[in-house]
Amino acid sequence: MTADPTELRIPEDAMRRLAEMRPGQATSLFTSDLSVNEFLLVREAGFRPLGLVLGSSIYHVGFQMGRWNKNQELTMLSQAMYHARELAMTRMEAEADQLGADGIVGVRLEIEFKEFGSDLAEFIAVGTAVKADEPKTPDGYTWRNNKDQPFTSDLSGQDFWTLVQAGYAPLGMVMGSCVYHIAHQRFWQAMGNIGQNVELPQFTEALYDARELAMSRMQAEAEQLHAEGIVGVQLRSHGHRWGGHTTEFFAIGTAVRPLRADHRIPTPQLVLPLSDS
Amino acid sequence: MADWDGRGLPPVAAERVRRAAAGGAWTSLLSAPAAAGLTDAGFDPVGEVMGSIVERIGWQGYRGCGWSPFGGAYGGYGGTAPTITSSDRAAFSGFAPYVAALEHGYGTAMSRLVQEAAAIGADGVVGIRLVQDRMEGGAREFTALGTGVRARSGTRPSRVFTTALPATDVAKLVRAGWMPTDLVYGISVAIRHVDWSTRQQMSWGAGNVEVTGHTELVTRVREDARHRFTAHVRGTGADGAIVDDMALATWEVEPAENHRDLVAESTVFGTAVARFHSGRAAPSRTLTYLPLR
Repeated sequence: MTADPTELRIPEDAMRRLAEMRPGQATSLFTSDLSVNEFLLVREAGFRPLGLVLGSSIYHVGFQMGRWNKNQELTMLSQAMYHARELAMTRMEAEADQLGADGIVGVRLEIEFKEFGSDLAEFIAVGTAVKADEPKTPDGYTWRNNKDQPFTSDLSGQDFWTLVQAGYAPLGMVMGSCVYHIAHQRFWQAMGNIGQNVELPQFTEALYDARELAMSRMQAEAEQLHAEGIVGVQLRSHGHRWGGHTTEFFAIGTAVRPLRADHRIPTPQLVLPLSDS
Repeated sequence: MADWDGRGLPPVAAERVRRAAAGGAWTSLLSAPAAAGLTDAGFDPVGEVMGSIVERIGWQGYRGCGWSPFGGAYGGYGGTAPTITSSDRAAFSGFAPYVAALEHGYGTAMSRLVQEAAAIGADGVVGIRLVQDRMEGGAREFTALGTGVRARSGTRPSRVFTTALPATDVAKLVRAGWMPTDLVYGISVAIRHVDWSTRQQMSWGAGNVEVTGHTELVTRVREDARHRFTAHVRGTGADGAIVDDMALATWEVEPAENHRDLVAESTVFGTAVARFHSGRAAPSRTLTYLPLR
């Protein structure tokens, strides 16, 4: 990120701008949740930040009874975990929509358990609503997705820049959740394994099943958006507060579509850093 | 030592400023890359500056949420409780005096820092750490600490610019045509009665449901803090702001038997920025590189 300081008359112009500032002068103010690097890169990618947007939901996540000697998905909990996140995301999107945004970048979707109740968790989505300098994408569509909602992306400003440079547009964050209960071992099973190094096939199978469910749900969402693919996928597992046998598998990523046929970026220059970190 | 009446700078600070102005060795809190970046952007470090105030926040404005089971001000068993933020001037309760005290603390620490900076000939202060510490006996210390810098420029700004951004970020912003202007913040505290429907939604048998009352409380308090943040930015005359930190704290209070209220405090800190390049796009270009490490 450089420009010639003498040509720009830095810091002469900067000081003049400070001297000329008057309170309440600006008609439209922006706010952003981005770091300085991200802010500059998002600007350079051709987007203006409009405002910090957020959505929140405090949710009571109870428990679900099941047969503990069987591998099974706890569907009610899966739905609850998904629904709470969806509430936070849609509230954030509604705020962005009001600002007339084309998209939301740098979204953080987090869960915080609260001190005021053991089963209460806050699901919160925070991001920066942006508007494109050019109202149409290079291939002649709008930046908003096929549901006429602002696109969402959990990519950092740096990744967002690279994505747009490479000829892709984000469509939306897609996610899938699966809360899975892994069967408790039966007594004779546990006894039989003592002192041996063996695979526990029912554990292996359970983890495969659970991850597969979370990922296929995420993929289904991407297909609804007519995406070409999903980038930056994270597959997390959260124990939350359910004890050792119940785990949430959560897949999240950004669905993208191509803006042009070739996806070339300028060949990066190789550098040898002088620091050792 | 003469007693200080609280006006201007404390005597020791005034003495330090006098020494610095007389041309003593300058000090700075900058790292080597930060100093290099700043020099490149056309600023020289002048000296380390600080501002501090110790305040006792006595009356926290708390008399509960005003809810009463008999209908009272905010309805009885049937109605849902309202959320009262510290900005609701009409409400008889709430935390407006508490928030005013916090704002006074941060504001005074910042203005003392700015006074020091102006006295040693700085045009701005970068890398400010603005913190509050709780001391024994309920007192709080608000401290602002940063490095004063002076622009290599013929034009002097009419006021001192301040930012919490590290000098490296300041250098990047300035070279891309943006000037950080002010450290800005917004604070709000809100209270809401834990009403009947909220208690139902939190009970063991409720299953998986949203707790609407709590959601409303945190949404309202964040909204109010963001409004105050934006108002602060507007007051500076800048074009926008970059948020550094957004925090939420909650706690429960019980002003009377069987009457529980939930309180939430939201703070937003950031930096106001103003654009000084005239073109539509920022005059910058990015070099893509791959470090060989």
